[in-house]
Amino acid sequence: MSDIGKVRVRLPSSIKPGDVVRVRSLVIHPMERIERDSKGRIIDKKYLYINRVVATYLGKTVAAFDTTQSVSENPTFVFSFRATDPGTLTITFHDTHGGKYEGTADVKFV
Amino acid sequence: MKDHPVSRRRALVTLGALGLGASGLMLPAPRPAHAQALGQHETVDEALKRIFGARPMKDGSGVVKLDLPLIAENGAVVPVSVDVTSPMTPANHVKTIYVVADKNRIPVVFRAALGPEAGQAAVGATIRLGETGDVRAIVEQSDGTLLAVKREVKVTVGGCGG
Repeated sequence: MSDIGKVRVRLPSSIKPGDVVRVRSLVIHPMERIERDSKGRIIDKKYLYINRVVATYLGKTVAAFDTTQSVSENPTFVFSFRATDPGTLTITFHDTHGGKYEGTADVKFV
Repeated sequence: MKDHPVSRRRALVTLGALGLGASGLMLPAPRPAHAQALGQHETVDEALKRIFGARPMKDGSGVVKLDLPLIAENGAVVPVSVDVTSPMTPANHVKTIYVVADKNRIPVVFRAALGPEAGQAAVGATIRLGETGDVRAIVEQSDGTLLAVKREVKVTVGGCGG
C-alpha cells in the first residue's frame, strides 16, 4: 500500500514532430471493489478507487477518462495525442478519497 | 442497570430491528451522495438507458475495432483497447468512447473523452470482468451518432468479487 499513487508514463523512444504518439500509463492503486456483508448486502461506504484520469499536453486536455470500480487494480490506461511541440505530458489520477497522483513525461524530438 | 426500564438486551434487539427496517426502506430510495454517477449497481440495459436514453445506435463494426482476449484467464486484469477509424478533425472526430461489460455488477467500465488533439481515436485500459459475457464499446462521434460493437469474452476466473 505504500506504493499507492506511484505513476509510470511510457512514451515511444523516438518521436518526430507531428507524430501521433501512443502513451501507456500505469498507476499503483488498490481500486477497491464492492464488498458485501454476510447477508449479501452491499456495504455502503466510500470505496477507494480512481474515478478520473486526465492527460494534458501543452495546457490542453488530450484525453480524460471517467472510470468506475470495473477497472482493474493497478490500472493501465492507453491513449494517444499529436506531438506538435516539445513540452510536458502530464497525467493526473484522482481517486474518491481526494487523492491526486501525477505522472509526467517529457516530449522531445530527436 | 437493574432497575432500568429498558434492558440492554431489549434495547439492542430493538435497535437491530430498526436498523434492518431502515436499510430495507433505503433500497428503492435515491443513492447516497457519494454514490458514483457513472458506474452504478444496475443491469446493462438500465445502464444503457440511463446514459444514452432512446438514442439509436448503429452497428460500428466497420469503423470501431474492439480488441480483447478471446479467453481471459484472470478476470481481474483484462486488457481492452478500442480503435476507431476517424479523421479526428475539429469537424469530425470521436467525442467519447464508452466501454461496457454486460455481466459486471457495475456494467459501465469507463468513459474516455477525446478531442481533435488526440490525433487518433484509440484508448485502452485494463478492466475487470466478473464472468463470461459480452463487452461493448460505444463510440459517440462529434455529430452525435452512436456506434456500437460487442465481443464475447470467456472468463475462466471472475475478477469482480462482491
